[in-house]
Amino acid sequence: MTLLQTRPATEAAAPSHPFRDAVAAEWMKVRTLRSTWAFLAGGVIATALGALILFFLVQSYDAATPAERANYETADPTVVTMPFVMFFVGAIGAMLITSEYTTRSIGPALLAVPQRYLLFGAKATVAGLTGLVCGAVFALLAFADARLLLGNRPQPINPWPQWTDAVPTVLCATLVVMVTCMVAMGIGAVVRSTAAALTTLGGLVLVAPIFAHFLPTVWQLRLASVLLPNLTPQLAGSNHPYLLSQGGAAAVTAGYVLLALAAGAISSRRRDS
Amino acid sequence: MESMIELRELTKRYGGTTAVDRLSFEVRPGVVTGFLGPNGAGKSTTMRMMLGLHRPTSGEALIGGRRYDRIRRPLHEVGAVLDADAAHPGRSAFTHLACLARSNGIGRARVHGVLEQVGLSGVARKRVGGFSLGMRQRLGIAGALLGDPAVVLLDEPVNGLDAAGIRWIRSTLRALAAEGRTVLLSSHLMSEMALTVDRVLIIGRGRLLEDTSVAEMRHRFERDVLVRTPRPAELTTLLIRLGATVTGTGDGDLIAAGVDAPAIGDAAAAAGIPIHGLTPRSATLEDVYLQMTEEAAEYRAASATPEENHR
Repeated sequence: MTLLQTRPATEAAAPSHPFRDAVAAEWMKVRTLRSTWAFLAGGVIATALGALILFFLVQSYDAATPAERANYETADPTVVTMPFVMFFVGAIGAMLITSEYTTRSIGPALLAVPQRYLLFGAKATVAGLTGLVCGAVFALLAFADARLLLGNRPQPINPWPQWTDAVPTVLCATLVVMVTCMVAMGIGAVVRSTAAALTTLGGLVLVAPIFAHFLPTVWQLRLASVLLPNLTPQLAGSNHPYLLSQGGAAAVTAGYVLLALAAGAISSRRRDS
Repeated sequence: MESMIELRELTKRYGGTTAVDRLSFEVRPGVVTGFLGPNGAGKSTTMRMMLGLHRPTSGEALIGGRRYDRIRRPLHEVGAVLDADAAHPGRSAFTHLACLARSNGIGRARVHGVLEQVGLSGVARKRVGGFSLGMRQRLGIAGALLGDPAVVLLDEPVNGLDAAGIRWIRSTLRALAAEGRTVLLSSHLMSEMALTVDRVLIIGRGRLLEDTSVAEMRHRFERDVLVRTPRPAELTTLLIRLGATVTGTGDGDLIAAGVDAPAIGDAAAAAGIPIHGLTPRSATLEDVYLQMTEEAAEYRAASATPEENHR
């Protein structure tokens, strides 16, 4: 077997863009993880189940009397499906970093990009982009469900009698999925374990909203208002029972990102790998 | 020198335990340098500090005059394999390397090139999870060679390999050094190193015990001379007069220490004492290594006798 060609005297004089290269590498990594596609499939299934629930709700609505129809809650599909979408897309963000720790491939990753903040920044960028793209796709799918199944039925069951009414909710749901994906990546960087990261993420977006219901009303609203899934209606300024203004919701959203990314970045920098 | 590795008072403490203790040495290009020590001696910790994976408590490790984490696109300058199992099992060999290559601006053609070099072209699209240990070692080395680096570091590269794999690693490393690269590999087995390396750095309990060449080590530890003669009593008297320490083997042969074989031959010829055999005996490198590291070994079986330790 031949071993090596003679070393070239100098390396190829390609322009050096370390951050761009690191982001491109992380994008390649996320695309080539099987779990990424499994979690996306989870998001699709959650969306399909949400559509099914909405279908049955519409059937029940159509069979109801006018008086009963007036008492129907708003059938905003983002309320039902997006927490699950947030979990599945967030899991992709967490796996960006925990998959490397659990398979020890963090070693070669850090040998290739030893500047910890640069590597972490590249992963955060890819988590954000993944969350943005997936969030937009799933939010639009939920919107399409509603348009198809609710048609021109009136409020209160139809949250968006005009399609333009849905724009703030779709945009804010997209933003919240993006934030969740970045927060999950930050959690992954701190805990370095897929099981721990997914449990924490599930607790944050799926369990905490249920837990909040068991608190006294005042505390229920206070806690529920700062939970990730409930930020979407508060950011969009749509009808909701929560306490935050749009500005307050934006501040809490930014706080989630800053806290999770700062904790993840510091953990990456300070701890041995 | 651009491709030299320098350690200056490198120290790593974990709580009250000192894993690496003020370690200073240089590794020069053009030769294969072995980094030897028993399990727990601090080899891997030292290598991980060299590569920025562990933070030193004090001191520094420089490659080409810079800390590893200050090198932009480091795969072009340093290639390393610290763990043969450090590839995601769900990715193909090609994708694993392509991700690393992309982060350092290295093209896909080079990925194909290194896979060819290490003999993995045929399985480039297969998942790493199905690879044997030998294939994973080759994949690790392919990753280290991606950027055609001037410095190559390998941690225990022959662990678990079969004879053909060991021979392949050995010839690869020698070829890399012959091209003027700096090659450092760690091992806890002197027997492996004796055939592969030119220089050895021996550490025990995190401290440097020896920095020497393999040839110098062999020479320094020449032990004694086994002499076979039909007149042992007369030769014993003669050798003691020369300053040697002489003991009998029980079957009539003599073991003379403190005098070399030519001197014994000359003295016996001058005295007219026939010599039937003259065998200089040196400690094997394995013996020497075990003697050096015996006290520094972190973990030893309580039942191991000195005899076993020296065998």
